Amino acid sequence: MNFCVCIKQVPDVSAPIQLRGGELAMDAGRVVLNAYDASALEAALVLTEAHGGEIDVVLVGPERASETVRKALAMGATRADHLVVPEGTPLDSAAVATLLAGHLRGRAYDAILTGKQAQDSDAGLAGAMLAEHLGLPYATNAVGLDQDGGALVVTRQADAGQEVIALPTPCLVTCSNDMNDPRIPGLKGIMAAKKKEVVAQPVATVSAPAVTTRGYEALPTRAAGTRLDGEVPDMAADLVARLAGSL
Amino acid sequence: MPTILSVVAVQGGAPTRTSLEVLTRCREIAAARGWTLAAAIVAPDAGTAADEAARFGAATVYTASVPDGALNPPVVAALAAIVERADAAIVAFPSSEATKEVLGALAARTGAAVLPDVASFDATEGGVTARRPVMAAKFLAVAEATAPRVLVSVRAGSYAGAPADAPSTPETIAVDVPAAETRQTLREIVAATTGGAVDLSEATVVVAAGRGVKDAEGKRLVEELAAATGAAIGASRAVVESGLFPATAQIGQTGKVVSPEVYFAVGISGAIQHTAGMSNSRVVVAINRDADAPIHQTATYSLVGDLYQILPALTAEIRRAKGLA
Repeated sequence: MNFCVCIKQVPDVSAPIQLRGGELAMDAGRVVLNAYDASALEAALVLTEAHGGEIDVVLVGPERASETVRKALAMGATRADHLVVPEGTPLDSAAVATLLAGHLRGRAYDAILTGKQAQDSDAGLAGAMLAEHLGLPYATNAVGLDQDGGALVVTRQADAGQEVIALPTPCLVTCSNDMNDPRIPGLKGIMAAKKKEVVAQPVATVSAPAVTTRGYEALPTRAAGTRLDGEVPDMAADLVARLAGSL
Repeated sequence: MPTILSVVAVQGGAPTRTSLEVLTRCREIAAARGWTLAAAIVAPDAGTAADEAARFGAATVYTASVPDGALNPPVVAALAAIVERADAAIVAFPSSEATKEVLGALAARTGAAVLPDVASFDATEGGVTARRPVMAAKFLAVAEATAPRVLVSVRAGSYAGAPADAPSTPETIAVDVPAAETRQTLREIVAATTGGAVDLSEATVVVAAGRGVKDAEGKRLVEELAAATGAAIGASRAVVESGLFPATAQIGQTGKVVSPEVYFAVGISGAIQHTAGMSNSRVVVAINRDADAPIHQTATYSLVGDLYQILPALTAEIRRAKGLA
């Protein structure tokens, strides 16, 4: 099966980020491959290693995101497309889905995989928007992915339990990071990545995005509460007395 | 007059608590702006949802039928048909995995902008403004959607649900769903087996286990406390990954958002990725032997001690208080 994995470079959310004057301040150098996309790529690698096929990756982002493209190639993707937008271009989920649809229309992949959301926006929209634009059957929030003949079998995490869904190809699946632990590229992969094909082309967004971010705020904090002390039986009695009526 | 449409999810024959919270918020916005409040029910069986929509003040109730076990194609088709029929300017959903499965496709089909998973929202002159968690739930982004049609999904517990002062007598419109080709097949449903039959997102009491719950014995103590309090059982990512609790129990940034009256955080440190999923809880009881765990700083009641001792004592005390001993 031939895959295309859509990837994004995002800020490293585990790095220090401060709120200053309603904006987020962070080290611009701390960027990573979106963890959910890494899981999608890992899933494709496992399947192609078992069943054959190739994996293209496509990234929408500024020039400097080329580092993330190389990371995906180092993990084992076959080749890459980088849809280059000018640095600082505001994009929303719809704009990204439109750019990806423009790129993917007319290409014959068996399956398109994306992470279920991006770690910075946590929006979780572009994958299903893309499926709609391309007219593909899709499933979201995959925690398991298998190949069964010509079908892609998705184990989807639903609200109550899991659904096992067989999708005909071509199809699109958005992936949870609960699916796997993405491999860390070794030296061999890193060296090989330097020789793999990357087609970078500038793309323009047609219009200003409908969704914009005006600024940022801190999460509301809960006030500190009461610490209960004493021996365990007394703490328990004290707590139950205080909760009476709520339970 | 613009319409604000509130999508009401049905579970066990009744509207979900989050759906009614969202419907209440939509009613406030409609009242403030002089808009029409409508409700949408897409289900195999609407159950009491239409009556509840009336009790909560909807002027119009749109219904569409989808088969039991329907996958996303008929659901997207039904929602699109209702959104177009209602000519809704704003469509609000309870945020859930079911909503996440269809929201992007629905937006692309109807040409709507989307503000997903918001903590609060309001109508503006040109669309919708909202606050939503970003950066792995470390901050709130103030987001604006400027478009003639905006879809919004709302996190559980963001608003209090309250019926209207007087129930409405809504017009009920059954909308025909255009045939939707479903090319995928549902092979199997693997039901979650958590102790307790209470749905986590709807629960008024939650007992959540964290890394401090190390083994089957600890799990048993959690289950007993949950049984005594009629609670749903949740878990942090760590104990889901360890296999002690199922994935459907996971609460947090990529798990469920819960908003109970009482949240027992048992052996949970309080990392932001978890608290993002329970910050709307009214009362938080933290049981953790590490006095420096972040959860102690924001818990309503903080018990520093060994959960393997505290939980049995607490369960016994609750049973005694309820006359169940």
